[in-house]
Amino acid sequence: MKVSVYGCELSGLVTAGALAQTGNEIVALPIGIAKVEDLRQGILPRNEPGLEALVTLQMQEGRLHFEDDWKAGVAHGEVLILSMPSWRLERAEEIIKVIGECAKGDVLVVNQSSFPIGTADRFEAQLKLAFAERGLVANVSVVAMPEFISEGSAINDFVKPDRIVLGSHDLKAIKLVKDLMRPYNRVTDQVKVMSTRAAEYTKYAVNALLATRISLVNELANNAEHFDIDMEEVRQGLGSDHRIGFNYLYPGCGFGGPSFAADVKNLVGTLQSKGYDADLLKAVLSNNESQKEVLFRKAWRFFNTDLKNKTIAVWGLSFKPNTSTVENAPSINTIRAFVEQGAEVRAYDPQAMNDFSEHWTNPHSINMVGDMYEALEGADALVILTEWKAFWNPDFKRMKKQMDNLVIFDGRNIYDPDVVMEQGFRYFGVGRGEVI
Amino acid sequence: MGVESSSAWRALKQHCQQGAGEVHLKTLFDQKNRAEVFSVELDDLFLDYSKNRVTEETLKLLIDLAEQQALPSWIQRLLDGEQVNDTEERPAMHAALRAGGQGVKGEALSVQKDIELEFEKMAGMVSKIRAGQWRGFSGKPITDVVNIGVGGSDLGPLMMTHALQNIKSPIDLHFISSIDGTQTSNLLKKLNQETTLFVLASKSFTTIDTLSNAETAKDWLEEKIEDPQTLLSQHFVGVSTKPEMMTQWGIPHDNQLVFWDWVGGRYSLWSTIGLPIALKVGMDGFREMLQGANIMDSHFGHAPLDQNIPVLMGLIDVWNINFLDIQAKAILPYDARLKYLPSYFEQLVMESNGKSVNREGEAVTYKTCPILWGEVGPNAQHAFYQLLHQGTQAVMCDFIAPVERDDFDRSRTFGTDESLHYQHELAMANCFAQSRVLMLGDAAIPESIKQQFDSPFKHYPGNQPSNTILLKTISPKTLGMLVALYEHKTFVESVIWEINPFDQWGVELGKLIAKETHAAIKDESRADSFDSSTQNLIKRIVK
Repeated sequence: MKVSVYGCELSGLVTAGALAQTGNEIVALPIGIAKVEDLRQGILPRNEPGLEALVTLQMQEGRLHFEDDWKAGVAHGEVLILSMPSWRLERAEEIIKVIGECAKGDVLVVNQSSFPIGTADRFEAQLKLAFAERGLVANVSVVAMPEFISEGSAINDFVKPDRIVLGSHDLKAIKLVKDLMRPYNRVTDQVKVMSTRAAEYTKYAVNALLATRISLVNELANNAEHFDIDMEEVRQGLGSDHRIGFNYLYPGCGFGGPSFAADVKNLVGTLQSKGYDADLLKAVLSNNESQKEVLFRKAWRFFNTDLKNKTIAVWGLSFKPNTSTVENAPSINTIRAFVEQGAEVRAYDPQAMNDFSEHWTNPHSINMVGDMYEALEGADALVILTEWKAFWNPDFKRMKKQMDNLVIFDGRNIYDPDVVMEQGFRYFGVGRGEVI
Repeated sequence: MGVESSSAWRALKQHCQQGAGEVHLKTLFDQKNRAEVFSVELDDLFLDYSKNRVTEETLKLLIDLAEQQALPSWIQRLLDGEQVNDTEERPAMHAALRAGGQGVKGEALSVQKDIELEFEKMAGMVSKIRAGQWRGFSGKPITDVVNIGVGGSDLGPLMMTHALQNIKSPIDLHFISSIDGTQTSNLLKKLNQETTLFVLASKSFTTIDTLSNAETAKDWLEEKIEDPQTLLSQHFVGVSTKPEMMTQWGIPHDNQLVFWDWVGGRYSLWSTIGLPIALKVGMDGFREMLQGANIMDSHFGHAPLDQNIPVLMGLIDVWNINFLDIQAKAILPYDARLKYLPSYFEQLVMESNGKSVNREGEAVTYKTCPILWGEVGPNAQHAFYQLLHQGTQAVMCDFIAPVERDDFDRSRTFGTDESLHYQHELAMANCFAQSRVLMLGDAAIPESIKQQFDSPFKHYPGNQPSNTILLKTISPKTLGMLVALYEHKTFVESVIWEINPFDQWGVELGKLIAKETHAAIKDESRADSFDSSTQNLIKRIVK
């Protein structure tokens, strides 16, 4: 099938690469900062495991082309996919305008982006109007097919989906999109067909529920400390209840990321602007903002409110492992809080140091170091913000030599408190370790 | 010889008796260009004083009086920081606080550096608190700031922050002033110790009202905070002229903001006492307010007397009080954001000029400060305007209104924006209608409905004088201009009356007797020498 994918960020590239892999002829069109020349050389705006290899191979095989001209995309695709970040709505509007102006026959648009509820219906109406004005008689259908990929496992999430949510009222369109997605829908029928609005809302609802779950677990963990309870034991008890399960049950120093947190914020924004209730979700968001500083607060109390000239080592800046992104990450809030109190920060992250520098707008500078142990040089405390695999079993002896003061604030509960305490460290996790 | 026997005063007396005192305002408006002649504009502020019972001749004689009283040199002495507060032997340099280092001379110049250093310290605190980086004991950011102060340490910041409520602030501000503790206990129920910071604002740092509320706040914090040092360093800021007293109370040096004894309490919002204002609108907004006031200072210092807004307002008040025998003044803002402006001006004007001895200590033989009160105009229309229109008191009024409102989008002609625009027009219509009816009385009644008003109960004598002040909008800048205008016009009156507007001995005795009375409440035998009424009252509360 001939498919055009508008958007060359994570979701667009994964979609383009995966669909090319199953034999489709793909034209992918960047709509943001990514440049066609870079993309054609395999230089991608995102670090994502397996993505570069996938994209490069599909280009070599000749099934994936990058183009600049939006009209060329309209001419090429039987299916036109919009796959862009939620804040790119204006770009999507422009693309719809171009489609309305230059499409020559039937149009099937599939929107994967998290745009406000009702966007697919609105785009469809706009296209119909544009066609009517041109006197073009053709079928128009805008389908909502929200993406459920996560950074770090995006390709796998796309090719082995839990389900494919398909929002449309148009049987012909549903049939076509189902056929496009057939390779990923083999074992059992995973396609959930519903109204476009229900499909759009499902995406928001999923993230809202997960965010609420994380914040609730965090609140329970913070309070477990007050009663001298190890939250890890509670987690075992909770997760083994089949009604609850183990996913998204880890307490930590808050969630972030470019889409997950942004989706919940957008949903709250939409609800509030219309005067609808969003009390619980607002609480979830504010709870999460506060949770991003949980380690700072522990350190603040540990050092008896005096952090001036203390050296704080930070391991991990990205909002989760296997990504170079720090958008909405706890690292920004935590490090800002430390430097505002006069502490010096030495930070290390395997991938996200560049992105962190771009997001860092504070006048105080911080030291970025190229090695996790180097960060510990003369440190008064270690703060762990991301559970990169390299941090799980460090050389504690080496750490003890580097650090001036053996204290660990673990925002991802990656250590066994007994083990690190036996090594001579003071240890403060989230709902685990010492209480302060 | 007092001013009342001076030639300029006698000339005014004669002018008044020869008809100027009798002429009705409606007659004065036969002069077609009256509104144009009797109005003046400065930057974002416009004053229409045409609805006063004055003619060009009256103004000329008033200016003669001002010159006779050496007003121009008094203005320079005030602005240069000379010792205009003679009973307390110090200058009154509130204008120096807003000079920004520019256009000042003498003592007012020499204090500029100290002022700027203190503002820089304040700016640091403000940006830290507003950025959510001032931490409470548990490490959470401060979200609520409670100003504990009374009089000048309360009213200025309260009035300003209320007036600027449309400006969004990351900090919720609260004010506690009253000694009885009710405000404190009600407020503390709603706040969280982890995220609350108290500002102790007291010029002397001995004010019992403030210190007793501060002790209650401290007790409340102690419920959650074990370490007394953390409690003080993270949850208290002090603002005072007495750093040693702040230190003694336990406020760490970094948390102290000072001002100086040459800042009168009722003029202190321009100093670090304005901290809550800066927390509300940011340090930039605070400086805009200072700049607004500075525009008025510079005008006051340079404009010729007959075009000088504070001078004109002050002289016309003198005319009204001493020659037309009007002893009451109403402050009537037509915008609910200015709710506390009347209380603020009550303090500014009555604490300054509510005096009956001149600078030489001799009793004056003429009236000085009138009774001043006020209320948001549209509300007051349903209350005391009856008295203004048909009572037996002559009252002069100041109507104050913004030309524009910035809390809705004027270009939008639908929904709430449209109705808010409509409401603003209604408020302005009421403002202009009231001053017109107060001026014209029955003459304002349209010919077509005259018959309906043919009744002694529906008679409107009119002839009540008023000023109308229009501000471009309500902003830090225009409020700065407005408050500075009233400060200076109050000073102008004091110069004519030969009194010192910068002391307030009248409030001292009561404070002293309160201490004695408190002792008597604790130990009733001490009330033996009191009058029977006070003894009786004490008995009723001692259990």
